[in-house]
Amino acid sequence: MTGLQAGIVMAVAAVAAGSLFQVRPPDAYGICMACHGRDLTNWVVNDVTGWRLTVAPASMVFPLLTVVGVLIGAWVAAVISGEFRFRKPSKPVKNFFYGVLVMNFGLLAAGCSTRLALRVGAGDPLGVIGFGAMVGGIVLATFWIRRQALR
Amino acid sequence: MTVAAVASLVVGITIGFVGQRSRMCFVGGIRDWILVRDTFLLKGLVAFILMAWVAFPLAPLIGGEALGGFGTPIFSAVVLTVIGGFGVGWVSILANGCPFRQHVLAAQGTGGSMVYLAGFFSGAVMFHTWVSPFVLELI
Repeated sequence: MTGLQAGIVMAVAAVAAGSLFQVRPPDAYGICMACHGRDLTNWVVNDVTGWRLTVAPASMVFPLLTVVGVLIGAWVAAVISGEFRFRKPSKPVKNFFYGVLVMNFGLLAAGCSTRLALRVGAGDPLGVIGFGAMVGGIVLATFWIRRQALR
Repeated sequence: MTVAAVASLVVGITIGFVGQRSRMCFVGGIRDWILVRDTFLLKGLVAFILMAWVAFPLAPLIGGEALGGFGTPIFSAVVLTVIGGFGVGWVSILANGCPFRQHVLAAQGTGGSMVYLAGFFSGAVMFHTWVSPFVLELI
């Protein structure tokens, strides 16, 4: 499957979830790995500890399970194609902090890279601004890693 | 609301399967294009945005809800979005993939991405216990 086909399938799934299957409010919330992961984590934490961490209105009663779905779907695909193989993490501490940082930046911008792209498609001005900033970050970081690699 | 949970599970399984077969990544497209002029993933990103742009107005025609409309953004929200967006882009490149790609990698056995996800979910709790109150204090 090509990236082009994947992009089309994911966009249809995202819009359908948001418009037809009540994965809202907020608008353009069909796919977001950061926000849906936040909803699931905070909902479970709230349920266990009785805290009142923020969850989106769409996840108030029962959390969105996108994260679980992606893990299942990708695992099934990997097993079918024989690509499943455990690889030991080479830099676990670094990876852990990358995860923390991306989640925090993502929630600050109200969307991971996927939802920022989705908000551009929905015509949200704030989404366009965030997406532009993200592209800026990607371009600068790419030149940065290329410089590091060529040194 | 249970509809939303079931729908998101189905959507998740679909995009997880598709994402694993296509190695789709939302930051990798731009990176690959800059580094080696490869457009495989970039086409996916562009197709995603264009398809969403076409599909959002079409959804109400088959009984879906229309978008509520977006107001003019306020200054503090713009600043936070720019900082957040820039950070997502930068750190995702360092971490070698967008959050979606990391989920897929973790599901196919990459240990580094599993650790990344552990940090990712702890990050959500950290954000709402410390970062968010701190930011609200600032603005």
